[in-house]
Amino acid sequence: GQTGKLMYVMHNSEYPLSCFALFESGPCLVADANFDILMVKLKGFFQNAKANKIESRGTRYQYCDFLVKVGTVTMGPSARGISVEVEYCPCVIANDCWNLLMEFMQSFMGSHTPGIPSVFSTKHDSIYSPADTMVQYMELFNKIRKQQQVPVAGIR
Amino acid sequence: LKGQQASPFVLRARRSMDKNGMPWHLRYLGQPEIGDKNRHALVRNCVDIATSENLTDFLVEMGFRMDHEFVAKGHVFRKGIMKITVYKIFRILMPGNTESIEPLSLSYLVELNVVAPAGQDVVSDDMRNFAEQLKPLVHLEKIDPKRLM
Repeated sequence: GQTGKLMYVMHNSEYPLSCFALFESGPCLVADANFDILMVKLKGFFQNAKANKIESRGTRYQYCDFLVKVGTVTMGPSARGISVEVEYCPCVIANDCWNLLMEFMQSFMGSHTPGIPSVFSTKHDSIYSPADTMVQYMELFNKIRKQQQVPVAGIR
Repeated sequence: LKGQQASPFVLRARRSMDKNGMPWHLRYLGQPEIGDKNRHALVRNCVDIATSENLTDFLVEMGFRMDHEFVAKGHVFRKGIMKITVYKIFRILMPGNTESIEPLSLSYLVELNVVAPAGQDVVSDDMRNFAEQLKPLVHLEKIDPKRLM
């Protein structure tokens, strides 16, 4: 008798051997690829919202100590937006390099530079991990899901 | 995890107590396979997953409830793909607190198990042959999990 809770299972090509499972405001589990097999076994216990599968696919750029990944976000056959992921590799404490990241992003994103991600505020001074990246993607994908699809209409 | 099916879905979560920072181990064990009566060993479908340390919080969030927990202390031996564990089971006196434990019994439990690719039934013969070598020190017998539930 639980109210519908959503669990997201995500994969990231940057971590090909891992599988990430997360709840909206809950823990993010990092597991190995066998987790997908377990989810198949659990099919009867959960409703699969597979129709909502969303993906970002694109190019990975390395610029000195920065990693920039630009991808097209697609939901099924339709393109819904563009995602830009920026990582400053030498730093593991998120809050210590936010200003640097912001400066770097402004150099090529201008006014599209985002505000500080919410995961940073909960992390304080703890070490950044891949799970934090997945939480951000989940939030981004959810935002895109909620957006109305731009209707392609012929205007006469 | 209780669903609409008759039997609940059971998962086993395990972690190392003497090595910090190691991944937790999650295991799913299916029902014993049919045609099992003639085999010398119990055969079950198995899925092993290594996970991060927040496994128990995550399982609870998924809807799982803890059925029981215990501490096992002992030794692991290997012979090829066979794994033999000799351990004592300890009851945990306060849930979640692994510092206060008491032995369940004075004896050690000896377990012989093998994780092998599906279909390699001949493995059970190797297990039986090895079990024979342990007699009369230990009498290894195939168990029927249904009798224990």
